[in-house]
Amino acid sequence: MLSPMPTARKSQARFLVGLLLTMHGFFVVPWLVANAPLEKTMGIVQKIFYFHVPCAWLLMLSTFVCAGGSLAYLFRGSERGDRLAQSSAELGVLFGLCVMVTGPLWARAAWGVFWTWDVRLTSSLLLWLMLIAYGLARRYGGAGGRRLAAAMALFAAADVPLVYLSVNLWRGLHPTTKTVSSLAPGMRLPFFFSLAIFSALWGVLLALRMRVERSQARLVELELAVEDAEGKSQ
Amino acid sequence: MTYVALAYGFIWGAVFTYVALVGRRVAKIDAEIEDLRRRVKPGA
Repeated sequence: MLSPMPTARKSQARFLVGLLLTMHGFFVVPWLVANAPLEKTMGIVQKIFYFHVPCAWLLMLSTFVCAGGSLAYLFRGSERGDRLAQSSAELGVLFGLCVMVTGPLWARAAWGVFWTWDVRLTSSLLLWLMLIAYGLARRYGGAGGRRLAAAMALFAAADVPLVYLSVNLWRGLHPTTKTVSSLAPGMRLPFFFSLAIFSALWGVLLALRMRVERSQARLVELELAVEDAEGKSQ
Repeated sequence: MTYVALAYGFIWGAVFTYVALVGRRVAKIDAEIEDLRRRVKPGA
């Protein structure tokens, strides 16, 4: 039975309010970052940290959510889990791209090169590529593509602890995980505010992306109903 | 300063582009749904 969409406008309004609030945050963040104290050795380029770390956090969060949804799909056949996995994987690709651009900009100023095969950089690149592969497997993997992609998401999630701990386990050029806890007091507010705003934006984008999937499912349902109705009338 | 501006500008651009692309997809699917809904309504 085809249900009407009485809540569609309400959810659209909720989405717009959320988007506006987070976009407002996107203006407040640079103001806070601009007023944060300068780091002694790196100077102004250290301020990339306030955007780079939240993007990296969202890359990892997206991967875990994608793996969670994939588990639900693989073992319970949950379509909702599959939609959640697909949506969060796409956000992982988006924020992973931001990590892959902002990181080298910082590296160029700090290390003199845009890229080096440091273990943190390499494992992050692999994680990002796995999420891209997840999307490609879904799109071009044929009949079993969704299950193949779901299995790949579990491998991607296994890479997350490696990405996180790599800087402590194998000392490379990248700053360690202790950087956040050792931030100067004046740097904490801009950092955690930025982290909160980026996380809120992630939530809003996930809701938007999930809506696309729900609408897509409704469209398929309607197409079947139309085919059925047209078949009966002939 | 250039690198900081580039980094933040890129994130803004990427998010804005993503929202625009997904928004366009939502609008397209909604239009198709509305079209099909009209077709399945009795007497339409």
